[in-house]
Amino acid sequence: MLLIDRLSYRSKLRYVNASEKLLYAVATLALCVISRSVRTAVPVFAVNMVLTVGKGGIPLSRYMKLLLIPAAFLIAGTAAIVVNVSAVPLDAFAFPAGDFYITGSRAGLWQALKTCLTALAAVSCLYFLALNTVMTDILGALRKLKVPALLIELMLLIYRFIFVLSETASAIRVSQNSRLGNRNLRTGIRSFGAMGTALFILALKRSNALYDAMESRCYDGTIRVLSGEHQAKAEEILLIVAYEAVLALIWLMPLWLESRF
Amino acid sequence: MPEKKKFLLRAYIAFAAMFVIAPASNAMHIMEGYLPAGYCVAWGVICLPFLIAGLISLQNKVKENRRNLVLIAMSGAFIFVISSLKIPSVSGSCSHMTGTGLGAILFGPSAVSILGIIVLVFQAVLLAHGGLTTLGANTFSMAIAGPLVSFGIYKLCTHTKMNHRAGIFLAALAGDLFTYCVTSIQLALAYPSEAGGVAASAVKFLGVFAPTQLPLAVIEGILTVVIVIGLETYAKPELRAIGFFGNRKEA
Repeated sequence: MLLIDRLSYRSKLRYVNASEKLLYAVATLALCVISRSVRTAVPVFAVNMVLTVGKGGIPLSRYMKLLLIPAAFLIAGTAAIVVNVSAVPLDAFAFPAGDFYITGSRAGLWQALKTCLTALAAVSCLYFLALNTVMTDILGALRKLKVPALLIELMLLIYRFIFVLSETASAIRVSQNSRLGNRNLRTGIRSFGAMGTALFILALKRSNALYDAMESRCYDGTIRVLSGEHQAKAEEILLIVAYEAVLALIWLMPLWLESRF
Repeated sequence: MPEKKKFLLRAYIAFAAMFVIAPASNAMHIMEGYLPAGYCVAWGVICLPFLIAGLISLQNKVKENRRNLVLIAMSGAFIFVISSLKIPSVSGSCSHMTGTGLGAILFGPSAVSILGIIVLVFQAVLLAHGGLTTLGANTFSMAIAGPLVSFGIYKLCTHTKMNHRAGIFLAALAGDLFTYCVTSIQLALAYPSEAGGVAASAVKFLGVFAPTQLPLAVIEGILTVVIVIGLETYAKPELRAIGFFGNRKEA
């Protein structure tokens, strides 16, 4: 039911060391957001697409559909940046509406373009991580980063329970639909409420049963799972560092030249 | 100028239609990479004290009884699943609950801050809603500010002995609306308008997201009431287990 999760298990890059992938994704993401320039955003987006679709083997159509998820926010947010209501027209475009102008400036358009490209490049970094790394591997990498143990434990449990609960929820959904439970808004709201209630009760019941089962297997506060460790390769780390350096160079070089001359 | 007016009308219709086609007009997650780096860090820092307080309170709860850990985790998964399901909506486009109001009413604001940030991480990585760099800003608006308002209003309503259902409805509604306002202000601070500064920009962002967020807040309020009423009818012992009734005498 969770498309991204399912795809991540099928990725060909799944068995690459998780810390490496995390390092790559986070470093590129940081560089992207800090630089906020078209020069870095375009190569980052392209490289991530090649890595995820080409190397990772995620179907292109799926990847494109996933890129559409943030589209609504992107369009609405960008519209709010570009369009202004003002008494004086700005330089890019202006439509009179009553006493005011619906207007925008060149600088605003340029900023909107930069923001859009940066955001898309950043999303491609997130997708690289999400589509090529299994959640348990990410948690393993976080554990090495000394994130509080309670938090990791909680995340591990929540991740497992998400599937249990959503399976229950979708079963309830199917049976509600088959009884015309979502015929109109009124019944829809009633059905959703009933499902929420049932889900909550089932969740608590499950959690009690699960705790009993865990305790009877000597649970003492930590869940120990064998993590199939895949050795980080030195050449891959070097490649990541080199890539980030090149990106930083692409970003800083023109700025430096500008200030020189 | 009829030509211009026609154009404006067309542009507005296109803009409104976008929300119908848009695949998932989700609750207000600021997307990955949308905020400048400085704001990402600043919002993260603002969240820290709340998160630390939440973590300490959770640690105490777990120390008290280890069974609570599983319970808290199940609650987190519950919030995630509730917020990932499509809810019936007026406009026909699909939308999702935020679950913040419900979480705050059931589990209290300190637990929700930690559960909220975990849910937001999972939403970013598993559903592509929100993002890692905007995690701080989203956590503040959805896991801290919204739940605090919800919880405050809920407590106020129970103290003043207002109608129970109306209190829950108001709490969930206000939590949602407050989240939406905070997110708009966060965006406005990062992108002040060239004509009118931050305030004008905030109004613009509020206006742009209003068509999806206002109906959603009302629906969320109604759903929260329906769920809580259902729970109070069928799940008294379970609610007592999570400390929902607190020191209030059970009705």
